[in-house]
Amino acid sequence: MAKVGVYVCHCGSNIAGVIDVSAVRDFAESLPDVVIARKDLFMCSDSGQEMVKQDVRDGLVDRVVVAACTPRTHEPIFRAAIEKAGLNKYLFEMANIRDQASWVHGNDHEGATEKAKLVVASAVGKARHLQPLHDKFVDVTNAALVIGAGIGGISAALELANMGHKTYLVEKEPSIGGIMAQLDKTFPTNDCSACILTPMMVQAFNHPNIETLAYSEVADVDGYIGNFNVKVRQKQTYIDWKKCTGCGDCADKCPSKTPDLFNGSLSDRRAAYIMFPQAVPKKAVVDIEHCLNCAGRTIGTQPKINEKTGKAILAPCERACRAGAIDRSLPLDPGGTIKEIKVGSIVVTTGYQVMDKGWFKEMAPASPNVITALQLERLISATGPTGGKLLRPSDNEKPHTMTFVSCVGSRDVNFHTHCSRFCCMYMIKQARLLKEKYPDLVINMHFIDVRSAGKGYDEYYTGAREMGINFFKGKVGGLEILPGDQLRVLAYDMEAGQSIEYSSDLVILATAVELPPDATALAQKLGLQFCGNDFFRELHPKLGPVETAVAGLFIAGCCQGPKDIPDTVSQAKGAAAAAAVPLAQGRVKIEATISEIDSQKCSGCGICEPLCPYHAISMRDYTDRARGVIERHAVIEMSSCKGCGVCTSACPSAAIKLHGYEDEQIYAQIAALTA
Amino acid sequence: MIIDQNKIDETIKIIKANGGHGIQKCVQCGACSAICPGVKAGFPLLCRALIKDLLNGLLEENIENSSSWGCQACNRCTEVCPQGVRPQEVVFAFRRYQANELAFSTSAVTSQMNLYETGHAVFTDPKEARRKVGLPEETPTSAFNEAAQQEIRTLMDNSPMGELGLF
Repeated sequence: MAKVGVYVCHCGSNIAGVIDVSAVRDFAESLPDVVIARKDLFMCSDSGQEMVKQDVRDGLVDRVVVAACTPRTHEPIFRAAIEKAGLNKYLFEMANIRDQASWVHGNDHEGATEKAKLVVASAVGKARHLQPLHDKFVDVTNAALVIGAGIGGISAALELANMGHKTYLVEKEPSIGGIMAQLDKTFPTNDCSACILTPMMVQAFNHPNIETLAYSEVADVDGYIGNFNVKVRQKQTYIDWKKCTGCGDCADKCPSKTPDLFNGSLSDRRAAYIMFPQAVPKKAVVDIEHCLNCAGRTIGTQPKINEKTGKAILAPCERACRAGAIDRSLPLDPGGTIKEIKVGSIVVTTGYQVMDKGWFKEMAPASPNVITALQLERLISATGPTGGKLLRPSDNEKPHTMTFVSCVGSRDVNFHTHCSRFCCMYMIKQARLLKEKYPDLVINMHFIDVRSAGKGYDEYYTGAREMGINFFKGKVGGLEILPGDQLRVLAYDMEAGQSIEYSSDLVILATAVELPPDATALAQKLGLQFCGNDFFRELHPKLGPVETAVAGLFIAGCCQGPKDIPDTVSQAKGAAAAAAVPLAQGRVKIEATISEIDSQKCSGCGICEPLCPYHAISMRDYTDRARGVIERHAVIEMSSCKGCGVCTSACPSAAIKLHGYEDEQIYAQIAALTA
Repeated sequence: MIIDQNKIDETIKIIKANGGHGIQKCVQCGACSAICPGVKAGFPLLCRALIKDLLNGLLEENIENSSSWGCQACNRCTEVCPQGVRPQEVVFAFRRYQANELAFSTSAVTSQMNLYETGHAVFTDPKEARRKVGLPEETPTSAFNEAAQQEIRTLMDNSPMGELGLF
């Protein structure tokens, strides 16, 4: 017979302010198998835990019920306590009389006390039938995967690699570096972006523990914490990277032009191209969608022969390549190649995109002189299309008056309700850089309000005012195209209570930060969830900011929510530390409260298999030698099972047992609640 | 409203030259106006609102506005300003601009004349009241001291005030 001890917690006034704790204790004492019932001001305090431990050590109790708060936060504490006292930790049950009684029935003290009694009775009913359970452990693959090699991914990969873990760094573009590589300078110190980023790119690429997989995408993921199997699709480069020296001769000779996305489409690049001058790895690829197949050199075909010379007629890129890295006769697979890797944990740092101006019909998107802030970065960057000279796109003339428009698509229920967080600061940065370089340039900045939270940020903003940059509170309502590619700005000065109208040469839109469209497919492969439609969801907004609902899968940077470079690097290093935990431990614990299939009862119907949200169930054939037949059974991969109980309740043969939630335990709870 | 950078630059130059050095530090938080007795008394263009107009280059447009003369020089705005603008200095700088353009409010002219003649900006004859409470009729101030008055007139005649030709 079980010896149940019940411990009722006051939780200060959280519980005792509503519930008559003494009455609940007295009631508990009257329940069957209860040998001891005590109460304490704070059961989770040292003295409270010690009370429980002493009763266990004295052999008075062999099942423990604590009537207190939520098991989500406190069950692990009491389980650890009884385990320390020598009792199996699964011989513990929590009665949540705070969330389920005192908090929700604060105006009905008597009713709350009666409900608390029922909740305790139910827990005791279950506790009488609890059985000892044992955690299991599985070994871990000592390697990590970082998806997305912007500044966040590079930071996370370096952190993991420096801790000694093999790290795969996957990047979809031909070069690592992400959006930070497109920036001119960075606030609030005006550090040159490339100057601080490029050394980190090189460091990551050359790190002995980092294997960089550029121009690659995650194709498929299965497995679980400690043992993920990942298929990475290395996209077809059409240029042999083992031979390519990054000289750029192929790009010089390639006749096909297409907008250069790295330059915000403000200039063209060739179909054969190197992403940008400081690219890492510095390798060329052929963008086959825009390739003209010069000289009829479709990939995988033999060249025509010049009848006079007898030589093969090659495409310009092939002829230009002195390293012999381009051979269009090879039957290269447009799908690229699949590389299979095994990792113990995964960090997702896939970043963001800014909204296109085309969404905003009131902002004259048809005008070439209305550009996004990211395009302006390229326009003022020394490696950009104008070599760093501020020239407006329509006529390559230097603008005299320019306008910054904040919150375009952010803080807007028609697009994104979130604040994109770093636009205020980068706009101020761009304005300051331009005002320093061109003191005569008139810069008008229009804000709903200036958000400059960060170390040194507000000083950076107020400094901009003193530089003679004009700030107006009030969102720009619209732009109109005037003759001469000018723009009429329709604005309002809320502080003066005056409408403003003026003609501007160049208008910069701070368009909203959002997830790129391919984020959805990645989320489906990984099991990531979304916060509304906006960003990947973390496990807990405060206490689990880098963890996700999937164990062993972590997120950092702008894919989790808009944040600037310092915040991205901080979060990425945090995610790397969290991702290193299972790798450092070498094995991961499998909770004992998971489901198990009784193969004697399993009919092999397969109902459970598609129901499992964690893909933990598979059907397998077994040979029953005694009977000489092949039988089909469901099998649960214990490391993937989360103990949700869906299969248990669906099984028509009652063949699946969920440990810790067995039938007789649950029936005992129901009986207690309905007594 | 038209945003004219030349006017903005000119306005800021004039205000700074007249002592309102901190004008560009203003972030329009409104603390100065919240504490200003002149704003409470109903003067519409004091502290924040005046600074905003000046930052928009509206100098001449406000030349006849008499709000600035409602400033009592209590300097509470300077105490509460979180950005070190010293709003009262800006208001006074604007007043100096107005004075230089002979754009006094009538109330201001009277007090200037009082100051020139008696050494007190606000002066009422105290004799009757003082006799009732048993005090000497004349106060020991410039009001009844010809030599002191002469000194004050000399100072004012030789100050920028004198150049305005008011006296």
